[in-house]
Amino acid sequence: MSVALRTEGLTKRYGRTLAVAGFDLSVGEGEIFGLVGPNGAGKTTTLKMLATLIVPSAGDAEICGFSVRRQPSEIRRVIGYMPDTFGVYDDMRVWEYLDFFARCYRIPARRRRQMIGDLLELVDLGEKRNDYVQALSRGMQQRLCLAHALVHEPPVLLLDEPASGLDPRARVELRELLRELRAMGKTILISSHILPELEELCTSVAIVDRGRVLASGPLDEVHARFSRGSVVKAHVLGETEDVARAQGFFASQPEVASSELLTDGRIELGLVGSDASTADLLARAIRGGHRVASFAPATSDLEELFLQITARNDAPSDSPDPGLETREVAA
Amino acid sequence: MTATAAPAPTRRVRGAVWRAGGRVGGRFGGFWSSVTAVGAKELRGRMRGRRAFVVITIYLLLLSGFSFGIYEYLRQQSIQAAQIPIFNGGVDVGFQPGMSTQGMALSATVGHAIFSGLLLVETLLVLVLAPAFTSGAISLEREKQTIDLLVATPLSTFGMVLGKLLSALTWVFLLILASVPLASIVFAFGGVGPEDLLRGYAILFALAFGMGALGMFMSALVRRTQTATVLTFVAVLVLTLGSMAVHEFWRVVTTPVTTSTNGFVSVSAPSRPPEALLWLNPFVGDMDLICTTAPGGYESRTCGYVAQVTGTPYFGGSTPVDNSCPPMKCGVRLEGAFGVGGDVTVACPPNARCAMAPVPMPAGGGGVVFDDSNPGPIIQPPVATPGTTATLGFPRDTFWPHNVVGFVSVGVLLTLVSSQLVAPTRRLRLVPSRPGFLRRRRSAPAAPLATSLPEETIPASDASGTYTAPDLDPAVRSEEQS
Repeated sequence: MSVALRTEGLTKRYGRTLAVAGFDLSVGEGEIFGLVGPNGAGKTTTLKMLATLIVPSAGDAEICGFSVRRQPSEIRRVIGYMPDTFGVYDDMRVWEYLDFFARCYRIPARRRRQMIGDLLELVDLGEKRNDYVQALSRGMQQRLCLAHALVHEPPVLLLDEPASGLDPRARVELRELLRELRAMGKTILISSHILPELEELCTSVAIVDRGRVLASGPLDEVHARFSRGSVVKAHVLGETEDVARAQGFFASQPEVASSELLTDGRIELGLVGSDASTADLLARAIRGGHRVASFAPATSDLEELFLQITARNDAPSDSPDPGLETREVAA
Repeated sequence: MTATAAPAPTRRVRGAVWRAGGRVGGRFGGFWSSVTAVGAKELRGRMRGRRAFVVITIYLLLLSGFSFGIYEYLRQQSIQAAQIPIFNGGVDVGFQPGMSTQGMALSATVGHAIFSGLLLVETLLVLVLAPAFTSGAISLEREKQTIDLLVATPLSTFGMVLGKLLSALTWVFLLILASVPLASIVFAFGGVGPEDLLRGYAILFALAFGMGALGMFMSALVRRTQTATVLTFVAVLVLTLGSMAVHEFWRVVTTPVTTSTNGFVSVSAPSRPPEALLWLNPFVGDMDLICTTAPGGYESRTCGYVAQVTGTPYFGGSTPVDNSCPPMKCGVRLEGAFGVGGDVTVACPPNARCAMAPVPMPAGGGGVVFDDSNPGPIIQPPVATPGTTATLGFPRDTFWPHNVVGFVSVGVLLTLVSSQLVAPTRRLRLVPSRPGFLRRRRSAPAAPLATSLPEETIPASDASGTYTAPDLDPAVRSEEQS
């Protein structure tokens, strides 16, 4: 798999503050790469540097072989950029909006018409063609903004918080859309702090915090390296004493690091070990006569992973885990 | 690493956009398509709905009412003048052109007054509207957070600025042109020719361009539209009222005090401040036109000011007769006051539309006649020959072309500068292959931070061992320090 995008020590300094402190990322062609981190982690700054909107203080990035520093105009032709906050023009219809951006990319008039129709169909705005842009709902505007990033068929998409402010339904639609784009062969770099939305989508992630990459690589790889277990919520049916008995059982098991009784027969368990040992634990609980109605992760895997990694970053006294290392920048 | 610039094959979106990028026209094609893309978008928004047409209608109604007001005023005045014999006969009211004793030049006077009025009102409108249309052009994009979308496209920033400027100017030009039929009314009254109207519109168009570029510049310079608008109108005030005030102050302060002696007017040499102070003042250009199109060949107040600004000598009488300039030797002028009796011939100033009229010239009176082509007075007083005629008038085009050149060059300059201010990543680089010189120069003093900062500002946690950033590429680091 060839590399579509990579950064080398990409740094942005504002006065004495390091917004981005040397990002080394590598995104393979056709990947959906998630940039995960809390607010202020440097995600937006990174994407803006990649979109040639900010000049890096140090380091460089390459997209499709073009340098962000030295070939910004070439970069602009190979990326589609969707900012985290964007405005819409007043007095502009949906098709005019896309037509305008298509003109910006010098797409000939005869091709624009066809392409606008295709794009609107892709983002499911075909019926809104003649509506005013400012009259669209937030979710529609997000999709329109995504469509605008596609007018010149860029091989690489840079999407900054594309799902922020969307209702769950719109979020699901967006996810479908991104899948479709991936099927078209696009490389997508997507930033978000809403983790569940990335989890089902991304092939690789980079976890960033306070301007630094804490971990990056294929999702399962990062997961395998960083996960120190998970939190599971078990719902046990029965009287109060049944639940208490179940909690006692769980607490005595080697896989359970902590257990806490919640209301309504729910027990939160902190687990260590692999998925297989968790499955064994559940099997033993059921054999032991505990009526387990549900047994599921309390948080999403990525969320858990994120919390663990950033927590470790917050507490420098933690002993370094020898098993952890960044994935090297792919050559 | 090989470039993977070619787009991946796509299912739905057809069209080899990629090829379009490097297609026809090269750099210029890209620039021009930027202009048309932005221009079309802006115009679409501006002309949408009824608003534009309502504005034009109201604007024309106002101008018509204004012209009619001038006409009615002058008509009333002439009726009064005709009814009161004392004005008709005894008093020479000739210094108000058209208020002649016979009322014969009234029509031309009305034409001239309407022309002057329209010219001044439209100058004022352009002065206000052109910068108002552009002073939000870039800052609004920033405020509405649409600028990133634009800057991330290959749109050239110069094309973007020019597109926005042209679309705003199209609207101003439309307003100016819409007044042409109305302004043509002056032809019905006479006194003002098409070439005068063309001169007036030349000033207006140049003014619109210059002021539009001024608003654009302010809009690109500051972040907020409100600030940009305020700055723009402060600049407009400085260019108009401010420049005139400074010019006048300069003149008064530096003019030596002269005394007149026995019957001869001493030819004082009033100081003349640099004319360039007023080159960006459209009203002086207007005055130049108003002065030289007056039915008498000149109009005293405006001509007086323009003469003083440009240092053009002029001499004039009062009785307008003819609108054609006789082919005479130019450059002869009279200075001073002549005594009683006799006439003298004064040649028409260069390029002036003159009136030929016998002006009573004093034999034995005082004064100096100069020939500009020869240094020094050629006729010493009291040599004015009785029985000769003076030609009246004021040389044309002494000032307003400076206005036009001034506005156009300022407009071009500010447009270029604006395109550099749109986005920090879009500045011209002197050495294209290296990072922008502006950035490097600024980051140079901060260079020591490059090595020390990462360790200081970031807790050296790195428990995960994943953080390798401080080890910047040596090449990058040396570049930072250079």
